[in-house]
Amino acid sequence: MKQTFALISTYSSDEFGICSALYELGGMVVIHDASGCNSTYTTHDEPRWYDMDSMIYISALSRNETILGRDSKLIEDILETAGKYRPRFIAIVGAPVPYMVGTDYRAIAKILEEKLGIPAFGFDSNGMQYYTRGMRDAFKAIAERFALTREISDMSIDERPIKVNLLGVTPLDFGMTGAADSLKKWLLDHGMECNSCFAMGSSPEEISKAGNADVSLVVSYGGTGAAKVLKERFGIPYVFGIPFDTAQLAEELKKMTTGNDLGKVAVIGEQISGLSLAESLKDLGIDSRALCMTDHIRDPRVNPAGMDFRYAPEEDDLIRELADVDTVIADPLFKGICKDKRFLELPHMAFSGRMFERDIPDLIGKGEWLYERIMNEIKS
Amino acid sequence: MLKIAVYGKGGIGKSTTTSNLAAAFAKLGKKVIQIGCDPKADSTMNLLKGKPVSPVMHYYRDHDKEPERLDEIAKEGYGGVLCIETGGPTPGLGCAGRGIITTFTLLEDLELYETFKPDVVLYDVLGDVVCGGFAAPIREGYAEKVLIVTSGEKMALYAAGNICSAVKNFEDRGYARVRGLILNRRNVDNEYEKVKAFADERGLEIVADIPRCQDINDFEDRGMTVIEGNPDLPISRIYLDLAEKLLKEDGQEV
Repeated sequence: MKQTFALISTYSSDEFGICSALYELGGMVVIHDASGCNSTYTTHDEPRWYDMDSMIYISALSRNETILGRDSKLIEDILETAGKYRPRFIAIVGAPVPYMVGTDYRAIAKILEEKLGIPAFGFDSNGMQYYTRGMRDAFKAIAERFALTREISDMSIDERPIKVNLLGVTPLDFGMTGAADSLKKWLLDHGMECNSCFAMGSSPEEISKAGNADVSLVVSYGGTGAAKVLKERFGIPYVFGIPFDTAQLAEELKKMTTGNDLGKVAVIGEQISGLSLAESLKDLGIDSRALCMTDHIRDPRVNPAGMDFRYAPEEDDLIRELADVDTVIADPLFKGICKDKRFLELPHMAFSGRMFERDIPDLIGKGEWLYERIMNEIKS
Repeated sequence: MLKIAVYGKGGIGKSTTTSNLAAAFAKLGKKVIQIGCDPKADSTMNLLKGKPVSPVMHYYRDHDKEPERLDEIAKEGYGGVLCIETGGPTPGLGCAGRGIITTFTLLEDLELYETFKPDVVLYDVLGDVVCGGFAAPIREGYAEKVLIVTSGEKMALYAAGNICSAVKNFEDRGYARVRGLILNRRNVDNEYEKVKAFADERGLEIVADIPRCQDINDFEDRGMTVIEGNPDLPISRIYLDLAEKLLKEDGQEV
C-alpha cells in the first residue's frame, strides 16, 4: 500500500531537516503554522535545545488568517520580533496549512529583507517530505546567501593542509556523538583541515568562509545543495562519503554467527551513510547492500565503487528488497520488518528520534578509500 | 525569455487570444510554451486540432504519482508550441489553486525551461485572481508581464479592474506588472471609448484592438487558430503585430 507504514516508523519531516540545519547559525527560524506541538523538532526532539540557544518563532497561524490570506500579519509580527532579537537572518519554514493555500514565502522574504536589511528566505516545506530535502534546501540557502567570497592561499596544497568543507552534518544523521569533532580530527590526521562545517560546531563566520575551501566533503544528502552552489560559484569540487571505522561493527556481526556465515547483509539508512558503511564493511570482507528510503542522489559519483545500492521508498519496497537478506544493520525501529533476520542495531535519530540517542556510536575513523577519493578529486 | 500571463473575465476570449498569440509567436519563428491554468483545461485546444493534451491534474488522478517525464503531460501543437494544461480537481471538490502551484512546482522539477529553452511562455489564467493559486503565474520567476483581455462590457471592465488592483497589491513582492489591455470587441456601444477611458484612468495602454470576426469562430470549429487557418487574414495580422511588438519590447529579434 502506497505511503503507508504499518510496521516501521517514518523518517523526520522536511521541517525538521530545515530546523536542524539552521539551529546553530544565529538566524530566526519562523515556523509558519498553527500553535501547538508542531515545534517539537526544535525543542523536545532537538538534542541541542537543552544546552544551546536558538531563535525559534512560531507564527500561530489561525483559521481566519489562512482564509483571508493575511500575510501582512506574519510580516508585521516577524518585523517586530526581529527588531527585538536582532537575528542574522530570517528563515520561514512552511507547514501543511500554508502549503495548501500556496503561501508565497519568496515574496514574503523579499519584503522582510527590504525592511530589515538582513538576508531572509523561505522554504516550501509541507511536513510531507523527508528531512533530507529540508536539510538540502536549508544548507543551499545558507551557501547562496553567506558564502559570497573566495580567498585563495598563495601556498600550494602540497605546502599547507587541504581546506575541506564538511557539508550535511546534523544530529539527525550523526546524533550527538561528537561526530563533527571526529570528522575534523579525521581531516587533521590526513593532512587536511576543516574550513567550515555545515552546520555543527562552526560559527556563522566560518560558514561564510566556505568559499575558501579546496574541496567539499558531502557527508549526507542534506549537503548536496550547498555543494552544488559552492561548485558553481567558486569551482570547489565535491566528494561524497563518510570515513567510517567499522571494525567494531564487523566484530559484532561476526559474533552473531558461527562459522562466519552472515549470509546477505543489508544496511538501511541515509544514502551516503549507507554506502559509506557498505564500502567500509567491504574492506573487512563483508559484502552488503545499502537500502535507502529517503531522497537520494542519482549522480554516479556518489557510488564510484559500484556498491549494491537500492532505493526503496515504500515499506513494501523495503520488505521486497530484504527478502533475500539474512542480516540487517539498521535503526531498531526497523525490526518490525526484520523478524526472521539477524539484526544489528544502529540507531538513526532521523528515524527514531531520541529513543536510542545514547546508543548511537561514533563510527568516524579510518576511511582510507575516502582520503584517496578526495585526493583524486583535487588533483583532477 | 518573454513570459506573459493573460487574465480577464470568464468567457471574454482569453484562451482564443492566448492561443492565437502563441501561434503568432510560433509563426515568427519563436519557441513557445502555452500553459493553460484553468481547471477547464481548454486553453490549448485550438493549437492541437481538437486533440487535447492530458492535463497534469488528470495524470495525478489516474496514476496517483508525479509524472517523471515532460512528454507525459505536454504535447506539441501548431508551430511546435508546447501545450500544457494544469487541469483541476473533480468539480466541486479539492483545490484548483493548489493544483496550479503543484503544476508549476512539477514543471520546475522537470526542468521545463532548461530543456525546452523557450523564447516565449504564455500563461492562460482563470478569470480572476481569486486566491494564491491563481496568482502563481505572476509570482517572481514566472510571468513578468500581465495582459488583460476585456471588452467594453461593464462586467468585463469590472473584472479587469479587480485584476489591476490585485497586481498593484503585489508590487512590493516583485510580481509581474500589467503591460496593457487587449480589447476583444463584443460590439457594445462606444466600446473603444469605454475601454480607453478605463485604460487612461489606470495609465494603461490598449496593446491590441481585436474586432469581432467570424473567421475566428470558423477556424475554432476546425480546432485551429486563425494564424494556422489563414495567416494572411487581417485578423491574423493583428495577432502577428501584437506578437512582434511584444518581442521587440523584450529585445528579441523578429
